[in-house]
Amino acid sequence: MITCDEFFSEFADYLENQLSPEVRRELEMHLSQCRACHVLYDSSQKTIKIVSESNSFELPEKVFDPIIDRVMSKLRTERS
Amino acid sequence: MKAARTCGCASERIQSNSSEFRGDRAGMNFPDDLKGKEQFDPLVVFREGLGFVPNLALAQCALPRLMAAHVKLEEAITFRDGAISRVEKERILLSIAADRRDKYCVALSGGVLASLGVPESHIDALLNDVARAGLAAPDQALLEFSLKLSRNALSVRSEDIEELRTAGIGDEAIVEAVVVTALALYRCTLSVGLGPEADFSPRELPLAGNAGADKPSRPVSATESHRRTEQRGPYVPAPYLSQNAFPPFALVQKSHGFIPNFFRTQTLRPDLLRAELDAVSLILMSEDFLTRAQKESILLAGSSANLNSYCVAVHCNLLRGLGLSADEADQIAVDHHLSNLSAADIALLDFAVKLGTRFEESARKDTAELQSFGFSQEQILEGIVVTALNSFANTLQMGLGIEPDFAPPVLFAENKLNPSSARATPMPREGVVHLVDTTLDADTELVAQAQAGNLECFEELVRRHTQLIYRALIAILGDAADAQDAMQETLLSAFKHIGGFQGRSKFSTWLVSIARNAALQRLRDRRNLESLDQNDGAEDCDFRPRQIAAWEENPEQNHSKTEMRQLVERGLLQLPAKYRIIVMLRDIEQLSTDEVARQLGLTVPAVKTRLLRGRLMLREWLAPHLTRSARGAAR
Repeated sequence: MITCDEFFSEFADYLENQLSPEVRRELEMHLSQCRACHVLYDSSQKTIKIVSESNSFELPEKVFDPIIDRVMSKLRTERS
Repeated sequence: MKAARTCGCASERIQSNSSEFRGDRAGMNFPDDLKGKEQFDPLVVFREGLGFVPNLALAQCALPRLMAAHVKLEEAITFRDGAISRVEKERILLSIAADRRDKYCVALSGGVLASLGVPESHIDALLNDVARAGLAAPDQALLEFSLKLSRNALSVRSEDIEELRTAGIGDEAIVEAVVVTALALYRCTLSVGLGPEADFSPRELPLAGNAGADKPSRPVSATESHRRTEQRGPYVPAPYLSQNAFPPFALVQKSHGFIPNFFRTQTLRPDLLRAELDAVSLILMSEDFLTRAQKESILLAGSSANLNSYCVAVHCNLLRGLGLSADEADQIAVDHHLSNLSAADIALLDFAVKLGTRFEESARKDTAELQSFGFSQEQILEGIVVTALNSFANTLQMGLGIEPDFAPPVLFAENKLNPSSARATPMPREGVVHLVDTTLDADTELVAQAQAGNLECFEELVRRHTQLIYRALIAILGDAADAQDAMQETLLSAFKHIGGFQGRSKFSTWLVSIARNAALQRLRDRRNLESLDQNDGAEDCDFRPRQIAAWEENPEQNHSKTEMRQLVERGLLQLPAKYRIIVMLRDIEQLSTDEVARQLGLTVPAVKTRLLRGRLMLREWLAPHLTRSARGAAR
C-alpha cells in the first residue's frame, strides 16, 4: 500500500479528479485504511463544496449600481 | 514483383577514417581527432551494444551530452532483448528507415541485422516487401503497426492496439514497439539533419518504396487529427509508480512542477522511462548553447506542425513557466511567424519544422541559412537533436494514446485540428490575430460596439462581469471598501483601453487583467506589494495539514447560509493574496485551472500547487468551526 506522503503527492490531482484509474485505485485503497488521510480528503472535499456554494464576496446590487452609474455618468460627461 | 537489389557486400562495415569525418551535409566541422574521446562513456556503450560507434553518434561529438542522450535511448530500447527480441526491433528500425528512404539508417540497421545472424536474403525481403518476408503472424502485425505509426501517427487508434492484442502481443511488447518506432524517427531525423557518412555499404531501395505501403503521409491529415481528438487513451495500462519507488519522478516534479501524463503513461516499463528522462534532461536542461525557451519553442512549433495537441499544450505551459506570456506561447503554436520572436529564432523554428515534417526537402543550404543568422555549429546541432526529440515524443504520445494534461490553445484546436479549416503549413500572416475562437466568447458583439464608442454596450459588458471584477479586486486587496474604490478605477481604465483589446484572449480575461493591474497599482502606491507572480518555494509543496479531527457530516445543514458565507469570507481574507485569488477564481467563479492560469499569467502546475495550498489553509481555518467536537462543544 502507498504511504501517506505518496498519497499527499497525488492529492491535488485527486481532488480535481485528474488521475488515471490505476493511480486513483491506489489512492482509494489507501483512503480505506488510513483514517488521517480519510479525514483530510473528506474535509477538503467539504471545504471546496462550502466555498463553491457560499456566494462569498457577492457585491449587492445596491452597492455596485451606484459605482457603475458614477462611472457611466463620468464617461458621458467627458463625451459631451 | 520487385527484385532484391541488395549488393553482395551489404553487411560489410565501412572503416570510417575519423580524421576525414565531417558532418558534411550539415556543413559542420567536428574535431578531427577522436582518439582523446576513446574513453568517453557513450562511445564505450555504443561499442558494447553494436560492436562499433555509428557515424550518426559521432556526428554529435561536438556536444558530448547529446551523444550521451542518444546512447541512453539506444541502450535501453535497442541494445537488448525485451518483451520483443533485438532482431525484431532492428527489423522495425530497418523497415521504417526504408519507408522514409533514409539510406544511412537502412545501411545501419541492415548491417546490424546481418551482424546478429539474419540472412541477407531476409534483409532484402524486408526492404522489398514486408508482407512476403515470411514473418510469423504476430511479428508481421507488430511491424505493420510500427510502419503505420511512423507514417501517420494521427491515424493510430485504440482498435489498432486491440488488433495487436488479438494477435497475441502483450502490452509490454506494444509499449516497446511504440518506443522503437519513436526511436526510428529520432534516428532518421538526426540522419537527415546531420548527414553522416555511411557505416555500411549502401543498400538499394525499391523504387516505389516498400510493397504494400502507402506513401508516407506528410503533412498529416487534418481529418484524422480531428477524429483523433475524439479518441480516449491511454491504450495500455499504467500501473501506479510513486516518487519514492521511482526517484526520477521526484526530479520531474521538481523541474516541471508536475509529472506529465507522457511519463505517467509509460510506467509499465520503468527502464525505458528512466532512459527517456535521462535523454530529456541531457538535451533540454542545459543552456550552454540554445536557451531552454528556444528549445521549448522548437518543440512547440514542431508539435504544432505535427498537429499533436497533447505536446502543444505541454510546451505552451512550459514556455509560460519560462516567462513567456500565455498569448505569446499560444501564438507560436498557431503560427510562429506572427509571434514576437526575433527573426533569427523564427528562422530556427522554420528549420526545425521543415526537418521534422518535410524532411525530404531539408538540405545543406538550410544549415547555411541558420549560420547566416549567427547560429553556431553547436546551436544548430542542438536544434537538430531537439527536433529529433520532438519526433520521438510526438510519435510516442500518439502511439500510446497519452491523455492531455492541459487544454491546447483554443484557436490551435479550432484551426489546426478542425478538418474544415486545418492545414499543416503556417496560417496566413494576415487576417488571423485572434487566439481564441471569438464565436465562443459571448461578449464579442458587445465588445465590437463598445470599441466603436457605444456606451450602452460598454455598460452592458460591465454589468455582466461585475462580480468577477469585484472578486478579482478583493482577492488581491483583501478589503471590501478598497475593492469598491478600485472598481471605479478598473471600469474607467477598461473603457480607456478597450480600443486596444484585440481578441487575443476572452474579454473577461482581459477585464480581470485590468482589475489585477489596478489592484496591484494600489498596493504599490502603499508600498504594500505582495507579489502574485513569485515562484513557488518549497513551503508551497511542503505544507502539511495539522487539523485531523473528523468534520461534521453535513456542515452546511448545521449552519445558516449567512453564517457559512461570513465564515468563508473571513477564512479567505486571512489567506495570502497569491492563494486567495486562485481559490476564489477556481472555487467561487468556477473557472477551470487552465483559465485561472491564463488570467493570472501563471503555468497550470503553479496554479495547481497554489490551489491545493490555498484550499488546505482554508480547511485548517474552517476546521475548528466545523469538526464534530466543535459542534459538540457548541451544544
